[in-house]
Amino acid sequence: MFCLDILRLYHILSYFSASTRLATLPMHHLRGLSKCYPRSYRRYTTGPSLSPSHSIYVSKSTNPYFNLSLEDWLFRHKNPQEPLLLLYRNSPCVVIGRNQNPWAEVNLSEARARDIPWLRRRSGGGAVYHDLGNTNFSIHTSRTSFDRRQTARTIQEALRHYCDIPVSVNDRNDFVIENRKVSGSAYKIVNNRAYHHGTMLIDSKLESLGKVLSSPRRGMMKTKGVESVRSPVVNLREYSGDITHDKFVNGVIRAFRLDYDIDVDEEVQYVEENSTSTGIEYIHRGMEELKTWDWQYGQTPEFTYTFQQTFDLGTISAELRSKHGVILECAFACTDGAEKYSENMQRWSEWLKGRRFGFVGEDVSKERLPWKQGELATHGELGEWLHHSLVEIM
Amino acid sequence: MLRARALHRFVGLRGRSTLISHFHTSCTCWSARKISKTFKLADIGEGITECEVIRWSVQPAATIQAFDALCEVQSDKASVEITSPFDGVVKELLVKEGEVAKVGSGLCIIEVDEEVAAELEESSPTTPPPHQEQEAARRGESTPPSQVEPEHTQKLPRKGNPHPLDPNVQERSDTLNSPVLGGNQANVFAAPSVRHFARHKGVDLSKLAPGSGKSGRITKEDVENHLSGNRAAPQPSSSKPCPEGNADAGQDVLVELGRTRYGMWKAMVKSLEIPHFGYSTSLDLTSLHEMLPTLNSHIPSHYLPPPSTPQAPPAVSPSSFYALPPPPQTPSSGQYSKLTYLPILLKTLSKAMAEWPIFRSSITPTSEFSSDKPTLTLRPNADISVALSTPTGLYTPTLQRVNTHSVYSLASQLKHISHLGRQTPCALTPAEMPKRGGTVTVSNIGGIGDGEGASPVLVPGAGVAIVAIGRAKWVWDVNRGDGSGERRLKVSVSWSADHRVVEGAELVAFVESWRSWVENPQRLIAEGV
Repeated sequence: MFCLDILRLYHILSYFSASTRLATLPMHHLRGLSKCYPRSYRRYTTGPSLSPSHSIYVSKSTNPYFNLSLEDWLFRHKNPQEPLLLLYRNSPCVVIGRNQNPWAEVNLSEARARDIPWLRRRSGGGAVYHDLGNTNFSIHTSRTSFDRRQTARTIQEALRHYCDIPVSVNDRNDFVIENRKVSGSAYKIVNNRAYHHGTMLIDSKLESLGKVLSSPRRGMMKTKGVESVRSPVVNLREYSGDITHDKFVNGVIRAFRLDYDIDVDEEVQYVEENSTSTGIEYIHRGMEELKTWDWQYGQTPEFTYTFQQTFDLGTISAELRSKHGVILECAFACTDGAEKYSENMQRWSEWLKGRRFGFVGEDVSKERLPWKQGELATHGELGEWLHHSLVEIM
Repeated sequence: MLRARALHRFVGLRGRSTLISHFHTSCTCWSARKISKTFKLADIGEGITECEVIRWSVQPAATIQAFDALCEVQSDKASVEITSPFDGVVKELLVKEGEVAKVGSGLCIIEVDEEVAAELEESSPTTPPPHQEQEAARRGESTPPSQVEPEHTQKLPRKGNPHPLDPNVQERSDTLNSPVLGGNQANVFAAPSVRHFARHKGVDLSKLAPGSGKSGRITKEDVENHLSGNRAAPQPSSSKPCPEGNADAGQDVLVELGRTRYGMWKAMVKSLEIPHFGYSTSLDLTSLHEMLPTLNSHIPSHYLPPPSTPQAPPAVSPSSFYALPPPPQTPSSGQYSKLTYLPILLKTLSKAMAEWPIFRSSITPTSEFSSDKPTLTLRPNADISVALSTPTGLYTPTLQRVNTHSVYSLASQLKHISHLGRQTPCALTPAEMPKRGGTVTVSNIGGIGDGEGASPVLVPGAGVAIVAIGRAKWVWDVNRGDGSGERRLKVSVSWSADHRVVEGAELVAFVESWRSWVENPQRLIAEGV
């Protein structure tokens, strides 16, 4: 049956002619819809307009910047009491948690070589690798009814019942099959709303995942923030030959409809990345913000980075402290005969203070290196070591 | 204790020096007394015992209002934004960025007005009212009134969940939600909406297990039945009048008519000049019901949503002889995978309209002051309007020339129109809602309620008749079979027609003609639809 979605008990027919009806469409929204809906574009757009008042969204874009911003926009603009589901896929990228240290979590040079960008998301948790063989889900509910185990159960039901894959949920609320992870989860909680989002490895390139998520300097950094808990991973494809992104998406939608009592007329909204969706101010700003230095690097919590090298002339060790992506101080200790370089290293210390960690290379090319003239032979090695430790980490 | 402190301060007023030492804020606040309140890290839920402070959004001496962002903390994998529960001035940050704060320990000290502090102390230990009230008030701007209610029920002192931002919560429970409702909630089989409902009402779901839903799920009705049978338990229902700030508190409130509702008012006044008469009957859909699976399995491919796995081209195809024209492009909003009864009912209605020309005519629009006799304009085709209820209002888009479309095509148009109607703002264009409108209107009420009879209303400019279709249900029809009866699927239909042009007997005969199509759909084969 063709169903009506709002409970109205009266029957009124076009009480004024169609054209007047269009002219007097209410400019305010009757039922608590998005208050941030932009009125800047004409009413009848060529593509369907994007509204946060629905319950099920599937993004057709694979741009991670767009998808993360879309998720945040839906999170902030949906009616706080109603549940919402978003599913999306990203082209290859690495996504680290809100409070993580990119230098410790991501192998930046490997990522750059493979042309894989890295992003910082807004929820907590660890670092994950996304590509088209990985599907992301995001379930938003009101804060008071948020229950991470329940949301996990919905996804689990989707996999067990509709995709015939027997996953279990471990005590960290991750999905595992026989102790191997197929998914990682993270959460965000604000005043009146919360979400649980996560990945699902369907047919991802695990070799890439392994390479870009192993930073060579992980052991040298002690970060105050969250460190990723590394676990062996496996694709769902190993357990079911016909599992696909679409099958998973459909399964999750069905389980979500059932568990959250979604009205049968609530259709799935397919979101495209086009001028309509990126025209929404909040989304546009969000996409830009994700690329700024302040967000990407400036949100890094305090960490200590120790590195040392033994030269012919002695051993020099360094302990660098950085917060919010800026070097607070870098203390060098010269031992075993390298004491004569203490003064030089002191100058290095002073020079490094206040510079952006990982970006000192730029400064180096612009400024004179702080060492005395005439000491080139040994400085070659020193310079190389410093270059390797402070510049090549990117 | 507060009184003693107040007295102390009052005493201190005598000496100027003590006065100055008590007041840290600017001199415009001489009269307001300030009290420092420690904002403790409340229970975030989910068994979290400590969090790391990632970032402070304020620094000491900053003035903040309730709901301003205070800081962001992280625990395990959850990133939590914490907002200020009251207005005041930030005095001191007790936990630095990067440090860990335990739940229940102080996060920061905020200086608030004494009156506000007194209210907070006197309120129930579960919720600070000004905070909740403001939350409800702010929420009220963007949510419908019906949803402000649950927030208010939470406000009243009861043995429910402490508010997530409540700084006074000392203890936590280890269970996931509703620590006070005993039993292991996690294992009870119920949808999240039902759990939420039960928690609000203070019902312990484990006592209701197993429920009446599928596989023993507890449904909302089970909870409601439990509540109505259990009058002894005091319920924080809306019968208890909520304190300030609520329009339903028992006082009269003036509400202005919204644009749509006022439009309805005007149209209904005009409709008084149309004499209506009604006729109700029920149609037997059993034959259609039996046909539906076959029809569903033969939906033309261009109306079906694209298959998720690409299909291999067929081994043999008609286009190997002569390339068939490509099927018309259907937008995804017009694709469907299941047929419903409505397009079939519309198609059969158009068949009846072909036999009864009066129902293909509309009153010729003339100016009000014309003294000519009214005329009817007869159309060769059947145009049927469909009532569509959307978030932005009630519309009646028209399906043109229904007699020329197949049932599948009608189903696609219906889907597309309803998709357009539900966009915000409404995406219906004059193409879907032509000025002329249909001659008969169909309103599918069965989707909303299980009514038995309705009397829909005609408005000037609409057609000559309107029908409200109810909900199909299985009934035992004793008139059929060999006298012992049969199980038949019936749907009630209620007609209203304009008695200025349609006679009673005409409507009845028309409906009987429609019935003969609906109850004998095999006739459509002979007609070569």
